[in-house]
Amino acid sequence: MSEGVGNRAKKTARLTSGLLLLGLTLAVIAMLSLATGARAIPLENVWTALVDFDPNATEHRIIWDLRMPRTVVGLMVGAALGLAGAVLQGATRNPLADPSILGIHAGASLAVVLGVAVLGMTQLSTYAWMAFAGAGAAMLVVYSVASLGREGATPVKLALAGAAITAVLHSIINAILLTSPRTLDEIRFWQVGSLSGRPMDIALQVAPFLTVGMILAFATARLLDGLSMGDDVARALGQRIGLARGMAGLAAVILAGASTAAAGPIAFVGLTVPHVARAITGTGYRWILPYSMLLAPILLLGADVLGRVIAPPGEVQVGIVTAFLGAPFFIALVRRRKLASP
Amino acid sequence: MLRSTMVALAVFAGSALPAAARWSFVGNDGEAVALDETPVRIIASQDAAAGLIPLGIRPVGIYADSAVADAKVLQGLDLSGIEIIGQSWGEVDIEKAAALEPDPIIGEHRPLDNSWSGGDDVVAALSPLAPLTGPIQGYSILTLIEDYEALAQSLGADLSASDVAADQAEFEAALSKLKTAVAANRDLTALAVWAGTDALYVAATEGSSELMNFASWGLNLIDPEVAEDRGYWETLSWENADQYQPDPILVDNRSEATMETALAQRTWTLMKAAEAGRATDWPAFWLRNFAAYVSELDKLTVAIHAAGANLAP
Repeated sequence: MSEGVGNRAKKTARLTSGLLLLGLTLAVIAMLSLATGARAIPLENVWTALVDFDPNATEHRIIWDLRMPRTVVGLMVGAALGLAGAVLQGATRNPLADPSILGIHAGASLAVVLGVAVLGMTQLSTYAWMAFAGAGAAMLVVYSVASLGREGATPVKLALAGAAITAVLHSIINAILLTSPRTLDEIRFWQVGSLSGRPMDIALQVAPFLTVGMILAFATARLLDGLSMGDDVARALGQRIGLARGMAGLAAVILAGASTAAAGPIAFVGLTVPHVARAITGTGYRWILPYSMLLAPILLLGADVLGRVIAPPGEVQVGIVTAFLGAPFFIALVRRRKLASP
Repeated sequence: MLRSTMVALAVFAGSALPAAARWSFVGNDGEAVALDETPVRIIASQDAAAGLIPLGIRPVGIYADSAVADAKVLQGLDLSGIEIIGQSWGEVDIEKAAALEPDPIIGEHRPLDNSWSGGDDVVAALSPLAPLTGPIQGYSILTLIEDYEALAQSLGADLSASDVAADQAEFEAALSKLKTAVAANRDLTALAVWAGTDALYVAATEGSSELMNFASWGLNLIDPEVAEDRGYWETLSWENADQYQPDPILVDNRSEATMETALAQRTWTLMKAAEAGRATDWPAFWLRNFAAYVSELDKLTVAIHAAGANLAP
């Protein structure tokens, strides 16, 4: 007995120091993100810009006007995607669940496409709200469809409903894009997912949603542990599984919707990161969630920094880099070990 | 030189062409198109339509590169009664085109990549219906307009009609105002750009006919350093938006969104002229007639005076 407690204390200590290490890594990557770009700015000037901002210095303006918003958006979006993926995988007990599989990305994309094609939107800042609304609407539809029938929204039904709704939404998106090249032109950069060109306003606009989503996500940690034992066991333990799924779903929609609003639909981060987190922490959402929340922005910001330097004078958008890194990484993960079931 | 030496002849005699040909048209690629009678049913590309309609030649069908509402080149033209047979680059409705029973198809030839308006698919779809001909895009919009005038004349247009003459007179007046403004502000340097959220794209003068015109009228245009594989554009990260300090800045106005995008970038104002609001329109690649040219010249003249006033102590 005392040995078990000792082991647990050891595990807690190990995972806590792991979290600190991740936090440190993230801080380094964030600094790298501030220091890297098309314009060579010496490190000491980056530092001066941070501690002693001079609005007349061009280099300082570039740090604060371009790289800072980009870094902040990257941190927020990364954390949100990691959490959303982990929560979704837990709530649906589906190791492949991520915002793109449950219709959230497709809903956001369709809303933005409609905004451009029908309402004539042309600017990034107006896309955000459309994306957010679309993500919420799509998740609501997926959830309602999955809830039909006697057992309610079971994991399998959620996955099937998500896949079906995603297919429907994508066919509508394609129909619009194929008949309206102007719309395609407008949104093809948005559709890939990118952190560049986002003003700080966007970060500020989505920040409250992300905060609420994060609080909700962490509040569901214990419920997710219950769900991971299967609906029957969870029910036997006295959990209200409908409520648990509802809360987790709401958290995921808020997080994924807000992140899509800010950066476009970014694939693979929400899917891959929770598996890495689970490989480090083992089961138990108390740890999977914070690990996902730190690992994901490391991946996202790291990919963004990489995208800025590999193809000068242009940039490779972060959505492409994460897909490029994420896919083989995911395959390696699958090959290395049987994925722990969420 | 790319300068088109196209010749249009209403009557053609003593040549390799069929003796019966009463209308023929020769481009400087040497390709001659000959028809038994002066054609009346013309299918035109959007650019050719914009060149011909103001001269009194109305096509029966137009194939556009985008939705007609978005096609800057067609703005302000009376398109009533003209069938639109294509609204996307590379696409054309063959059935509609065939039903129009065209005599010739008139498009524009792009010598840079040896292509015609609408691209190879459109050429493949339309050329079985009627012979394809038209002027060549070169180093000057004025040359292009002259080519359209020659073509229109061969098709029976009256170039001395009052509205045609009035358009030209207005253009001459606008041009002389521009030249005066340029001459009075020799120290200004302008820059032509397209703004995206990903980067600022800076245009090389020789990639665009109207910029070549501006340069020939004395305007100093900054020539960017274009990487070898990047055609006529230099890609500038928004972090390097102050690479050049032009005044005024000309922004591609094919779509209104381009200026909005430029203004929305925080480092747009690293260019002092942008900060002072001295960004004006660049009629990029779409001018095909005098009437359209006049309003664009007027905007440029105003911008040059404003930039000049700033330069003066």
